[in-house]
Amino acid sequence: MPDAAVGAIAFVTLLTIMVGARGIRVARTPDDFMVAARQVQPALNAAAISGEYLSAASFLGIAGLVVAQGLGALWYSVGYTAGYLVLLLLVAAPLRRFGAYTIPDFAVGRLGSRGLRQTATALVLVIGWFYLLPQMKGAGITLQWVLGTPYWVGAATLGVVVSCNIAMGGMKGITFVQCFQYWLKLCAIGIPALVLLIAAGHHPSPNLTPDRAAVFTRATVVDLPQATGFTLTRPAQATVTGLLDQRTYRNQAVLLCACRHDAGAGTRIGFAAGAPVPVSLAMAPSSSESWDSPFLTSTTSGAHPLAATYGVIIATFFGAIGLPHILVRFYTNPDGEAARRTTLIVVLLLSSFYLFPTVLAVLARAQAPQLYLSSDSDSVVLALPTVLLPGLPGELLAALVAAGAFAAFLSTSSGLLVSVAGAMSHDFLKRGVTTFRWCAITAGAIATIAALLIERFSLTLLVGWAFAIAASSFCPLMVLGIWWRRLTRIGAMAGIVIGGGSCLAAIVSTMLGVAASGWGAVLTGQPAIWTVPLAFGVMIVVSLLTQRAVPANVGQVMLRMHLPEALSRQAYRPAGQASWHAPDRRAPGPGPGLAGPGHP
Amino acid sequence: MTAPDLGDPPPDLGDPAPSRQRVVWRPDQVLVQHDIPGLSDLRDDTPGGRLLLRSFMRAQLGLSLMCLTFALTVTASFPVIAAMVPAVSRITVAGVPLTLIVLGFAFYPVFLAVGWFYNRHARQLEVRFTSLVDPVSRRPDA
Repeated sequence: MPDAAVGAIAFVTLLTIMVGARGIRVARTPDDFMVAARQVQPALNAAAISGEYLSAASFLGIAGLVVAQGLGALWYSVGYTAGYLVLLLLVAAPLRRFGAYTIPDFAVGRLGSRGLRQTATALVLVIGWFYLLPQMKGAGITLQWVLGTPYWVGAATLGVVVSCNIAMGGMKGITFVQCFQYWLKLCAIGIPALVLLIAAGHHPSPNLTPDRAAVFTRATVVDLPQATGFTLTRPAQATVTGLLDQRTYRNQAVLLCACRHDAGAGTRIGFAAGAPVPVSLAMAPSSSESWDSPFLTSTTSGAHPLAATYGVIIATFFGAIGLPHILVRFYTNPDGEAARRTTLIVVLLLSSFYLFPTVLAVLARAQAPQLYLSSDSDSVVLALPTVLLPGLPGELLAALVAAGAFAAFLSTSSGLLVSVAGAMSHDFLKRGVTTFRWCAITAGAIATIAALLIERFSLTLLVGWAFAIAASSFCPLMVLGIWWRRLTRIGAMAGIVIGGGSCLAAIVSTMLGVAASGWGAVLTGQPAIWTVPLAFGVMIVVSLLTQRAVPANVGQVMLRMHLPEALSRQAYRPAGQASWHAPDRRAPGPGPGLAGPGHP
Repeated sequence: MTAPDLGDPPPDLGDPAPSRQRVVWRPDQVLVQHDIPGLSDLRDDTPGGRLLLRSFMRAQLGLSLMCLTFALTVTASFPVIAAMVPAVSRITVAGVPLTLIVLGFAFYPVFLAVGWFYNRHARQLEVRFTSLVDPVSRRPDA
């Protein structure tokens, strides 16, 4: 079975490496090396942005989480799309006109402070690494599923491939490749979803009826590779091979009571059609909510589902603005108007993509609800084709899904690693291509090692946390920096440090399991609900208290961000009709008296 | 597009071996067109110019916040409604739960419509501002 999938993964990986090798010849200047050439058509650019954005969480994580925990997990896909709408409404055009490459560049260009630049760079590293971890985990479980290799093999493979590729070729050279990655991912999830949907036919499934526990739609043998605890909602007749409730069975019929059971590793339990699906104790949907509840309950052990849902909504809606690897791609737009059109097309492309994980998740719930029992919920999408469509067609679809998943890990982690390595080499070490290469390898190695520690967290959860940190640090910086003249470097610094820091602390405490229930679990598991308002509030209040530090050139900077291209013609106009205008440098110097609020 | 006159400098088509040049990014440099008299106020950051830019920014921000409020209200009201009226999450349409329809499919067209509306009106605001600053010129693209 794995041959087709292995071939497909190897093909996608080799393709990426070859393009990276080609990038060496294409890249000529450091500028080319760091950011692909500018002035790309909106449709192409939008596909490239989407290609880089759709990561392991979108490809595998959301569908898995929906199967395991319910429809509330769809808030992630809604939020990942809405993030681009918010980006369009608040920052797209002004940011493009400003012309900075990275968030630290934006911070220092708008507010002029080296300390702020280094804080922003440190945060780019934190967000980048947080976002890299789930990609590594995705690779680990994908190879685990395809080849049966241990988890670390897949994570290490992705780390090595991506780091070396970046170190050799820069940002995978070309917009076109990332555009191709989008269409590859769309096909790799869309074709299996549609084929399986047609194959499933139109049978109303009892598993989609609200407030009903899942039942097996056909006779099914559940393999439990690891020791698993589960409960049954009703008594059920089953055929058991292996260890169950401290007794060893050899293909014997057993009546399982509606209570808790413990199965040993390697146990196989056969259920008849119509039997209730066991509810895994490890991955149970929260006790109080049914599968079709619109609330999101993961990480918070079911406590306060409404607050947890709003935590995810805030994090994902406002997090996209602050993602370091997405912003870099934004500067390939020729002007602000094109940036807006590009972003709208991104919303369209993401909306189209996210229809398919939903379809797959619903199919899995309706036809094979036991899938999450026998493996990590993140591999549901990988396992589904062969379960629903036995034989060669299912294997080919599974190979397609595996290849698409690997494309997702490769493209997203490449973009992230470029941002992380760029930030490390550019702001902390000495500049230059050689340093950049070593930084790429170092950053990839750190991410790979860290990925070994986070196997038990869901992909979607990890990516959601990266969004939460971005939303409570860089989002206020960008939004206030673009729209509010009175923002000061001290206010920005305070907001980033307090907002981002408290969000990070909350997440780390959740990972360590400090608060496992009640409000503590909600507020640390989905911290965006309080850290985003906190970051905005701190930034505004501290800025108002330090108005003497408003940069002297704020008027010119605002003009640059907001003046329409018809008046400024930043591009395309022959020299002579337009010229650079700079104010005399009454720069924010050491003397605070000079740098009064605006111009006198 | 017409062919360039002979007197024009040749368009930059990417020199096969471009010589390296250092470009310094100065975010407070604004590339303005010196043939537009109305721009001098903006460029020199006079009180009048600042007021003009501020009113334009306020109009843009107002449009953005209006669209954002609409999109947020549509999406974020769903959990509250479902929490207050639990019957909502038990509705099925042709065997498909309403929650699935709303969360899986219904929000995306709303996002696209809001984005399209915003792009249209943001562009109109820019055109209006441009003709305010530069009333003489008849721009073909305005």
